Amino acid sequence: MKTRILIADDDKDMLDVLAFKLTQAGYEVVCVSDGLAALELIESNPPRLAILDLMMSGLSGLDVLRKVRANEATKNLDVILLTGRTGDSDVDAAFATGANDYITKPVSPRELLHRVNALLARSK
Amino acid sequence: MSVGRLLQITLAVVGTLCLLAIATIVIAKNHRRRAGDKSRYLLSVYRNELLAIASDEDEEGEAKQVLFAVPVPIWERLRPSVIAFLSKVRGTAAEDLSDLLRSRGEIERATEMLTSRSGVVRARGAYLLGLVRDRNLAALLIPLLADRDADVRLVAARSLGVIGATQAADGILQALRTSRGRRGLPAWVAVDALLGMGVEIAPAIENGLTSDYAAVRNVCAQVAGHGTIFSAAPRLSILLATAKEGEVRVSAARALGRVGGANEAIALARYTNSSEGAELRRACAVALGELGRQESLDTLVALLGDDDRRLAQLAASSLIQFGEVGIAKLVAVAVDSSPSARAAQGALDLAKLRGQITTDAVDS
Repeated sequence: MKTRILIADDDKDMLDVLAFKLTQAGYEVVCVSDGLAALELIESNPPRLAILDLMMSGLSGLDVLRKVRANEATKNLDVILLTGRTGDSDVDAAFATGANDYITKPVSPRELLHRVNALLARSK
Repeated sequence: MSVGRLLQITLAVVGTLCLLAIATIVIAKNHRRRAGDKSRYLLSVYRNELLAIASDEDEEGEAKQVLFAVPVPIWERLRPSVIAFLSKVRGTAAEDLSDLLRSRGEIERATEMLTSRSGVVRARGAYLLGLVRDRNLAALLIPLLADRDADVRLVAARSLGVIGATQAADGILQALRTSRGRRGLPAWVAVDALLGMGVEIAPAIENGLTSDYAAVRNVCAQVAGHGTIFSAAPRLSILLATAKEGEVRVSAARALGRVGGANEAIALARYTNSSEGAELRRACAVALGELGRQESLDTLVALLGDDDRRLAQLAASSLIQFGEVGIAKLVAVAVDSSPSARAAQGALDLAKLRGQITTDAVDS
């Protein structure tokens, strides 16, 4: 069975690029365009890994991550945060909230795939 | 001719004109809708090829070949999507999208746009040249740092930062100046662009710290800190001690927190004195935490009881950054309900919530 990955980003082009890359690599990819939909999906049918954009309308990636970590059923989900912000305080906030990894935009699709593979291998 | 007849003719003419206007609007809307539908259809036809290139999944170059060969009218509709994707990816994917734009003559086109009479067109050209991240194109963009249009100067600076064009560092610092009614480049744009150029621009930044222009000194201080240019520490210390502008001194203090050493820690401690402004004192307290020098511990502990409660909180957070020794100081202070104890306890509680320290560490 294919490993299921959720991608949440309000940028359709970015969603499509990441989904294309991960699908080609053999993953099953589910895409949503806002934080609330991401949280609902994680709670109803948890994926193996979630890639969350930091800046989304409604719930931000950090908000979703906080709720995921606070929920006993989802607290161990692997989460990669995706953002255009590169300040140290943003990176600190991401890891302090419990992100497993952090990728900055513009994204290197190849690097993203390596990080996804490495994270999934580590948490097997 | 009677007045009634004249009124009838006028009404008929006005009515006809209104009908013509409505018809024109309807036709134009239909035309735009059809053009939009056609663009969407064409994009959907070539979307997979675009995605294959943008996601670095076109190893055989087949998708690139398809897009190299599309007729000009179709390319005209695809171009905005290619540019949009290029702004979102880096690495091989970005190089392939840039190759595609180059092969379709878009670099020449963007270069021609730089001399347009329209500021918007010049800015668009500068934006595209930045996106393709080719250092050889930097020479075309540097003159635009002195463009008559503020937006063009801004886009040129950002593009030069994206390219990492170190030879543009002096030009960007020069563009910060406001002269003859021409607005200087916003500081955040300059900082962002200069940080994109890496440590190679250290000499330009060190020179900028002694500039006669406050905005230049301020930007250079920020870049020296965020870009960890250690060689700038002595000049930052002078700036902290002598700059007339409070904003510049605050930037120098923040930078010294990242690039300073023992001597700078002593200077920063001196400027936490109550005779200094609140912003500078706070910046120095944070910087002392980042430096983590043992000799600063007593200064930070003393600040826990300061009347400026925000400063006390920052001093407490800085002590957390010292690790065990700082936490021990906070625990020793957090024994009653005094203002110092409240600041210490607040920092300890926050650190526990963040997982920076364990309950055991506090109890022991």
